[in-house]
Amino acid sequence: MKILVPVKVVASLDEDFALSDDATVPADAVEWQLNEWDTFSLEAALQLNEGEDGEVVAVTVGDEQAEQQLRSCLAKGADRAIRVWDDSLRGADALAIASVLAAVARAEQPELILCGVQSSDAVESATGVALAGLLDLAHVAVVTGIERAGERLTVQRELEGGVVELLGVSLPCLLTVQTGINEPRYASLRAIKQASAKPLDVSGLEQLGLDAASVGAHAGSRTLRLKEPAKGAGATMLDGGPPEIATRIAAIVRESMSA
Amino acid sequence: MQLGAVKSRPILWHMPVGLQVLWYALAGISVLVFAYGLAAPVMRYRSASRAGLPAARELPGRIWRATRTLYSHAAIGRRDRYAGWAHRGIFYGWVALAIGTVIVGLSHDIAQPLFGGGFYDGDFYLACKAVLNALGTALIAGLLAMMVRRAILRPAKLDYARPDRPPEQYERQAHAYRVGDWVFVGTLLTIALTGYVLEGVRIAMEHPGYDGFQFGGWLAAQLFEGAGQSTLAAWRHGLWWFHGLLAIVFVSSIPFTKAAHMLSSYASTILRDPLAGRRLRPIEPELALEPAGYGTLADFSLTHLLQLDACTKCGRCHEACPARATGRPLSPRDVILELREQHGCEGPVIGEDGVHADTIWSCMQCNACVQACPVGIEQAPIINQLRRRLVEEGEIDATLQATLQTIHKSGNSFGQRRRSRGKWAEELDFEVKDARKQPVDVLWFVGDYASFDPRSQRVTRALARVLHEAGVDFGILYDGERNAGNDVRRAGEEGLFEMLAEANVELLGGCDFQRIVTSDPHSLNTLRNEYPEYGGSWSVLHHTELLLELMQEGRLAAGEPLGYRVTYHDPCYLGRHNDGYEAPRRLLAMIGCELVEMPRNRENSFCCGAGGGQIWIAEQGGHERPSENRIREALELDGVELFVVSCPKDVTMYEDAIKTTGSGERLRLRELTELIDEALVREAIAV
Amino acid sequence: MSGVLVVAEARRGELRAVSLELIGAARALSEQGAGPVSVVLIGADAEALAPQVALAGVQDVLVVPAPQPQFEAHVTQAALEALVQRRSPSVVLAGHTIDSLGFAPALAARAGLGFASNVTGASWGEQGVLAQRGAYGEKLIAELDFPGKDTVVLLLRPGAFAPAEGVGGETGVERVELDLAGSARTEHLELRDPPTGDVDITKADFLVAIGRGVDDEGQIAELEQLADAMGATLCASRPLVDAGWISAARQVGQSGKTVTPKVYLALGISGAVQHLAGMAKAQTIIAVNSDHEAPIFGVAQYGAVADMFEVAAELERQFR
Repeated sequence: MKILVPVKVVASLDEDFALSDDATVPADAVEWQLNEWDTFSLEAALQLNEGEDGEVVAVTVGDEQAEQQLRSCLAKGADRAIRVWDDSLRGADALAIASVLAAVARAEQPELILCGVQSSDAVESATGVALAGLLDLAHVAVVTGIERAGERLTVQRELEGGVVELLGVSLPCLLTVQTGINEPRYASLRAIKQASAKPLDVSGLEQLGLDAASVGAHAGSRTLRLKEPAKGAGATMLDGGPPEIATRIAAIVRESMSA
Repeated sequence: MQLGAVKSRPILWHMPVGLQVLWYALAGISVLVFAYGLAAPVMRYRSASRAGLPAARELPGRIWRATRTLYSHAAIGRRDRYAGWAHRGIFYGWVALAIGTVIVGLSHDIAQPLFGGGFYDGDFYLACKAVLNALGTALIAGLLAMMVRRAILRPAKLDYARPDRPPEQYERQAHAYRVGDWVFVGTLLTIALTGYVLEGVRIAMEHPGYDGFQFGGWLAAQLFEGAGQSTLAAWRHGLWWFHGLLAIVFVSSIPFTKAAHMLSSYASTILRDPLAGRRLRPIEPELALEPAGYGTLADFSLTHLLQLDACTKCGRCHEACPARATGRPLSPRDVILELREQHGCEGPVIGEDGVHADTIWSCMQCNACVQACPVGIEQAPIINQLRRRLVEEGEIDATLQATLQTIHKSGNSFGQRRRSRGKWAEELDFEVKDARKQPVDVLWFVGDYASFDPRSQRVTRALARVLHEAGVDFGILYDGERNAGNDVRRAGEEGLFEMLAEANVELLGGCDFQRIVTSDPHSLNTLRNEYPEYGGSWSVLHHTELLLELMQEGRLAAGEPLGYRVTYHDPCYLGRHNDGYEAPRRLLAMIGCELVEMPRNRENSFCCGAGGGQIWIAEQGGHERPSENRIREALELDGVELFVVSCPKDVTMYEDAIKTTGSGERLRLRELTELIDEALVREAIAV
Repeated sequence: MSGVLVVAEARRGELRAVSLELIGAARALSEQGAGPVSVVLIGADAEALAPQVALAGVQDVLVVPAPQPQFEAHVTQAALEALVQRRSPSVVLAGHTIDSLGFAPALAARAGLGFASNVTGASWGEQGVLAQRGAYGEKLIAELDFPGKDTVVLLLRPGAFAPAEGVGGETGVERVELDLAGSARTEHLELRDPPTGDVDITKADFLVAIGRGVDDEGQIAELEQLADAMGATLCASRPLVDAGWISAARQVGQSGKTVTPKVYLALGISGAVQHLAGMAKAQTIIAVNSDHEAPIFGVAQYGAVADMFEVAAELERQFR
């Protein structure tokens, strides 16, 4: 089975970063890594195809920074990778990204698309289901179990409070995969290096028949500005070493419990 | 015929020519079988990778050293004196009797036909007799001692109980091992005893009259006192053939039985890697595109294949292994034997029917097994090769996986930002130099735990103060430093290790310094023993060595003796890997601490359980943690109040173990630097 | 047309609490000029729930009968597509919940609507609706606008908006028949309740919660002892449940239990959105984390930047 796995390289911000004067995030305060959810969706794809003919294609919308993470997907066992980028895509929201992925999916014609539920930086939880909408594919969000019998999948959807819904869905379809569904494998550094022999296609928008304007029109929102959360509004910070902190906590607990 | 006068004995006494021909034919066949048995493993070795094979020019020196070690029995007698003495008896007896046989052969089959007369007579004959009788007796004594050990003393290391699987899965194999062991000693004993009895018969027939030179034979002769000549002759012929046939069968069977260790173990000792475990081997450039490590026997290097054959099942590694001692499913001996049993299988050696993955992940790479092995087997490095394959295949513990990713991303195992590596120094009242920007005398490679772990940071600051006060010109690498890679490499992530090593070597190469010091034995080991292969050869010191130097030079002075009664734990990577046993002990003496050694100390030190990446692996099975086992050992000592360590990981592991064993009231942990800090005279400094 | 359309959420015949928060937010937008508030209930038993959402400030309740009793994402999506087309509301509000995540992004993408999820603040002004949400893993706040979008779908984070109260007098209930017969694309098989386990953390007054700060299964026992010593119940965030170190019955958060204890002591929990959803309403929240930027400090009343194990060890000593 041909499975398309859209992945995202996410930004994690330095602990003590500060916004620069123009209210943007300074480049050196960001570290890039593969979105945790996508390690589970990739693993799910690899497991579904284990011992079967098929292909797992990892795709990302991202600049060169994303290439190393894409190589780690190849190192783990993806057969091919595709990277789509255009400078107009910087800061694009989930719906715009979904429109780019939709063009890739139309070209690839996968039987199954596995996305992560969300990305750890934007936490939009929207790309996968938006992509399904654009492709008019059946979809299930927040999946914690997948079993396949021919063209039929039985999936678990995880609801609030730990309730699980079992449902059936037919291929082709799109699932967004929740963490904990499997144990993602490790990509060793050597495997990543060796994966450089596997195909990684880089494409711009025009190769997909898109342009910046059409993608921009899909965007669901525009970021007006970024700001830092109001400081001090939250917790009263307890000072001192662990013994002092523990003493204060003990006092707060006793007081709150008796209140 | 009176032979007493000529002082010799007839060879092939009264044997018809036909039988003589048969005898030589059988001997010839036996040599052929022996050669065949030898050829099979040699062919296997020939197709293996030659990684780790010493250069041919080193061979004479290596053979000399291995032979010396063999004849001194230094390695065999270590950690088991009983077995050492028994083996000495067997070894010297066997060697002497073999030499005796060669002498007889030279005299009878070479000298006699060629020069018309042998030399196995006269005083030389008597001297041979005396020596062979003495050593033959040693052989018998040694064999009996070994039998007593197996049958009556029954040390646990010889029962072949395996910690990695239930008895029903290995009982047949263990039984086969036991039978093999008994057949081996039994055959040798029978050959030796029938030799004596044969001599006894001859003495009883001929009364040569120099009984004192062949007391063994004389003793046996007493059995035949009064027997008629014809009876004795029948016995003599029968025994001769029995003894002779058994001997040639034994010789021909050497390559196929436990006796093979006479060859394989000796060869392994010759090829022994003096840096085994201290320096793991990089992946050969020609294998760069192959999967890393060992997945099948075809991946094994020649020396490692030979080592599998060299194992004598002596159990010293089984006994020394901290994983085995704390109930984890690992015995280095069983790993080696399991791999040996895979001969002929082309499939993967890791799995349900081979070495279990959890066995491979139980190892702490403490090198106790390598150190204990009398024949140079590299159990820990072989386990490391198996790990490399597991890592490559992604079969790796989730926590370890996350940590390796963290190290890849941020250069340290704590997931802290690079920029915060030097943060510990901010609380000092002096500036620590940035060795990247200005020349320093001593470059301090701090390491992850000493940089980031809050408890160890206290030690790190104490060391900085002490060095500062001693006027040492030192600096650190701040956010340039990365995890040295010792544990990354031992966890089997060779690619990440290479990356870290290359980055650190490049950075260090651009700095101006005389020596490197580190308080972390793991970093020490890798910087000292492994970075040279990546282009970085520097003088690397452990902080205890530097502190000792400063004390001896008078740059640091201890005041009043501290008077603590302490015990000291040798970190694996300072002690066993780098022989750093003395400096910490001398420092303790200099500051007036009374050192009470734990029963397991120095090279026999026990592991804290952190090494080989274990500190990043979620709790393993076993009935206790190695660190708790060690703390309990220290608690047995009378009146010891401090548990002294000299490794940041030990600080973490033992602080924890003191808590979990609930022994905080009786035992406190101190890093050695903290005691030095406490003991120093500080006239000039206001406290 | 304009107005705010609220997509109320129900499960097993019961209205979910987030629906009231959506109505609360809608009413606020309406007061700022976004137009009247309508609430839509989609489902086989929708009609029965109508009185519960007919609150003050709600102009009308739209009841859309669906062919099957269970929520089905594609059915809801089709119904809303039709309603949006028919009524073109300025704002559609739904919860940032598992159900809504199954249809809302597809709805917005297909119809080219404005969209923002995980929204923690919304307002109405001259340029239409503005939204606030976290960015960079909640370390920053992004302010969004939706230029050129006539309809904007906002998924509001549960717990971020005050629930609406007060029964309305004027609310009309309208039954809207839509052809949804062929729109289901998944087949509901069953609902499985989580294992009840040994404890019911939702009943505990005092919870000690642990998270990613724990990196070794062996440490759990220590923390259990701590909870025992303090007379608290141990619970955890998702990673520890995923790792299999702690039972799912003890999981707090969006996919676990929602708890409202008197005291919630969070050790080594950074406070991902999903976790906050399950505990933000605890009376007193105390957080210990080594990262001073951890979002948990944003909801906690008391915080300490420290190693959780050092604090835990001290606490155990003090409570023993």
